[in-house]
Order: sequence, then structure tokens, then C-alpha cells
Amino acid sequence: MDWGRLRFFLGEVWRNFTRNLIMQLTAIGTVTVTIALLGSFLFTRDTLGSIGDDVLKKIEISVFLRDGATPADAHKLAAELSADRRVRSVAYIPKALGLQQMRERLRGQIDTSLLTSNPLPDALRVRVVDPEQVRAVAASIRMKPGVANVEYAEDAVQKLLRISDVLGRIGLGVVVLLIFTAAIIISNTIRLTVFARRREIAIMQLVGASGTYIRLPFICEGFLDGLLGSALALALLELARFQLLPKVAAALPFLPMRAANINQLTFGLELLLIGAAVGVVASWLSVGRYLRA
Amino acid sequence: MIALRGVSLVYANGTRALDAIDLEIAKGSFVFLVGHSGTGKSSLLRLLYREQLPTRGEVTVDGIRVDKLRRSRVPLLRRNVGVVFQDFKLLSDKTVWENVAFALQVTGARTRDVMRQVPRVLELVGLAHKARMFPSELSGGEQQRTAIARALVNNPKILLCDEPTGNLDPANTNDVMDLLHRINLKGTTVLIATHNALVVDRMRRRVIRLEDGKIVADEERGYYLASAGTVPGAERLQAPAQSA
Repeated sequence: MDWGRLRFFLGEVWRNFTRNLIMQLTAIGTVTVTIALLGSFLFTRDTLGSIGDDVLKKIEISVFLRDGATPADAHKLAAELSADRRVRSVAYIPKALGLQQMRERLRGQIDTSLLTSNPLPDALRVRVVDPEQVRAVAASIRMKPGVANVEYAEDAVQKLLRISDVLGRIGLGVVVLLIFTAAIIISNTIRLTVFARRREIAIMQLVGASGTYIRLPFICEGFLDGLLGSALALALLELARFQLLPKVAAALPFLPMRAANINQLTFGLELLLIGAAVGVVASWLSVGRYLRA
Repeated sequence: MIALRGVSLVYANGTRALDAIDLEIAKGSFVFLVGHSGTGKSSLLRLLYREQLPTRGEVTVDGIRVDKLRRSRVPLLRRNVGVVFQDFKLLSDKTVWENVAFALQVTGARTRDVMRQVPRVLELVGLAHKARMFPSELSGGEQQRTAIARALVNNPKILLCDEPTGNLDPANTNDVMDLLHRINLKGTTVLIATHNALVVDRMRRRVIRLEDGKIVADEERGYYLASAGTVPGAERLQAPAQSA
């Protein structure tokens, strides 16, 4: 390893980097904003996804049996439904139990003691494995003999699925736009450095430095912009996770605020990589265009 | 060493800088390229280090067809061709040592070679004792000698000089010309574009005269003015006001 050569090269990179500090900070700041937004968007999407999953998992299909169905009929149907692969669980709620549950649920809101008879039919409560199959499972249950009616929160299911889809698209669009902006700003910053160093570049070309050698310090500059920007963004995201999230969670206790599926390390590395890649590509294009001209 | 065959150069704006030039320069020679401003001296030099491509014709430098050279091979050509300009083109934020070392460092030379070569050329141009100074602390002649050291540090076979004494007073001019002469004695081919009559007449070497992009005279041991003997009152031409 030739340390002198390395030191000269790093010196060149440092000289580039510090030549126009304000512009450099602008570039880094843009990357920070972009990556922080990308990170929080991914985080929000994941959290919403898991909230949606939670809600969907809780969605039950209520199967009301015809009047006069015997407990034996109910158990037979329940066994039949349990055999279905798409069904997670089946609970038999006899009308007496149903009434009792309703009384508990409505305690203090409605005076249920006024009820003199039990208006509820016998029912089965069915949960499915995959929330997206709620509709299909419900339809097949409706066909079964002895079933009077089938109910589930169809609207809620559809809406949640649609919202998470739309959110995904909007978020992706915003992030692509931001990455594009960051790339343009980095590329302009590099172009300023190239311009500031045009005499040096001319001399390098004159004495026979290779194109790669001339480019490399500028590519490194873009790489540093991207890397520092995204590192800063990661720090902000971490801060938000520890300072902000508990408060949000406290304010919205009914939301399960846990992005269970996010692997912090992979997530962080991915964001760093994206930032650095934007920097490298932007500077490559910027320097390439100058050197060809 | 250098050969041009039927070389023409027409710039994009239609200016004909060189017109059907045929020229050969042997290895180890010392050649002046003279003529008024705008007669194509600088254009001819630019063809040799491939800053410019000819519109027509062949340019060969050290066995390399420069006009057909791929862009990626240009750096290799330039390591064999040192170039010196009237305005020195030194980096003001680097010392003499750093300016010279720069030419080696950016071509990826090993530190060991930098440490060996830089003192050698600084010794050659007589600036070893000013290695730590910045260009702004040097005289014009010293700056030009620094530029020559930088051009030589890669051990090129050819040294091209475009008006090397154009910004120098007579004393500095003499220093620089002596240095170029010594460099030539070591075997480097030296080609100097100039309109400094005294320099040409004092050296009495091969003189190639350009007029309107054509070679109008090519004499061994020639004078600045074609077949006119020495310039009348050459000393007066040496006045700094006339030298640029």
C-alpha cells in the first residue's frame, strides 16, 4: 500500500469537499430531507400496514343461523367450516351467550333489562387466515344450509386495502421526485467544484492524468454528500423514533404503534446505500458531461 | 519523432489555421516555429499533444498516429509530450514542489518515484532552493522554470513550448533559453513557437516559418527573418514592451 499516494488522493477529495462548503451543505441537506422523508414514509407505510393487518385480523364474519337450528346443527356447521383451509377459527355463540355478551358490551349505554326475550339467533363467529379472503369465505358460508345471514365489515376491509394501496403509490411518487431533486442539487454542487478547479483539471489533462483519475475525486465528493446526508437523516429518524413515537403512541393508544417488520439494521443500511448511490450517480453524470465537453 | 503529412486545420468558424502542412522533425532536434500572431503556430503545437484534431492529414508523434488516437489513449501520449505555455499555468495554491509533483501524482506515480524525480528536475531547472515557495513569490523566469520542471518530470521525449519567453524580461528570457538548450542536450526533442527574434537569432537552430497557415521557409541554422541575416536593431526588439 502506497500511503503517500492515498494521502494525496484523499487530500484532493478534501480540497474539493471544502472548496464550496455552503453548496456542499445544501447538497447534504437535500439528501438529508429526502432520505428522512423516504425513511419516515417507509416507516409509516409499514406501521399502517401492520395496523391494517391487525384490524383485518380482527374482522369477524358473523354467521347467523336459522331459527330452530339445534346445537347439533351448529356444531356440524362449525366443524365443516373449521375444515376449510382459509378459516382460522370458528366460535359457536348460542343465543343465550350472545345476549350475555351484548349486555356486557352495551352496559351503561342502553338499559338491556328491558329486554324480556332473547331476540338473537344462534351464531358462529368465523375468523379467516388471510384478510383478503374475507369476502370469498363469507360468500361460501352464505350458501351453506341452515345459514340465515352472514355479516362482516365489508366496507372497512375494502377501504383499508384501498388506502394502503393509494398511500403506497403517492409515497413512491413523492420519494422518486425527492431523489430526483437531490440528484440535481448534488450534480450542480459537483459542477461548481469542477468549475472552481477547471485550471487544475486542465493541467491534469495536459500532463496525462487518465479520465478516471480526474473523475474520481469528484465522484467521491458526490458519494460523501450522499453518505453524510443519509447518515444525518438516519440520526434524525432515530431521534424521532425515541422522542416522538412514544408521544404519538400515548396520544393514539388504540393504534398498535409497532413497525414489527422493520429490521433496523437492514433498513438503515438501505437508506445509506440509496443516499450514497444518488450522490455517486449524480456526480458521475455531472463530471462526465464536463470532461467530454 | 514528429511527422505531419498534408495536415490542414479549419476551425468551426471557418478560419483556416493550417493549410496542407508537411513537416518532419528528427529525434533530439531543437526547432523554432516562427511567424506572426495568428499564423498557426499554436494550432500546430496543439495538434501534437492532441488538444486539437486535424481537419485533414496525418499527425505522427513518437510513432503514434495522434489523429487516430482513441480518447482513452490520449493521457499516454501526453506523458511523453511536455508542454510549456507563455502564462506558465501554475497552480497558485501549491508550492513549486507541489506544482511539479502534481504532474506525477495525478498520473498515479508511486510516492517513491515522486520523491526521486521532483528533486531531480528542480535541480535541473535551478529551483531546488525555492521548492517551498508559492508561484506568487517567484519571478516570471522562475515561474516559467517551474512550469518547465513540471513538463519534464514525467521524462517526456518531446518538449513543446508555446511562447515560453513571451512574458519574460531579457535576463529571464536568457535563463529560460539556456535551460531549454540544456534539456535538448540531454536528448529531449524541443519545439518552440515564438516571435522573439533575438532568441531565435542567438541560438541559430532550425527555423520553420509559418505564414497564413503554410510553411513558407524551413532553414537549418536559420534567422528570425527569412534570409535577412540578423534582425536590424534586434536589441531594441528585446525591450519588454515588444516581447509579448
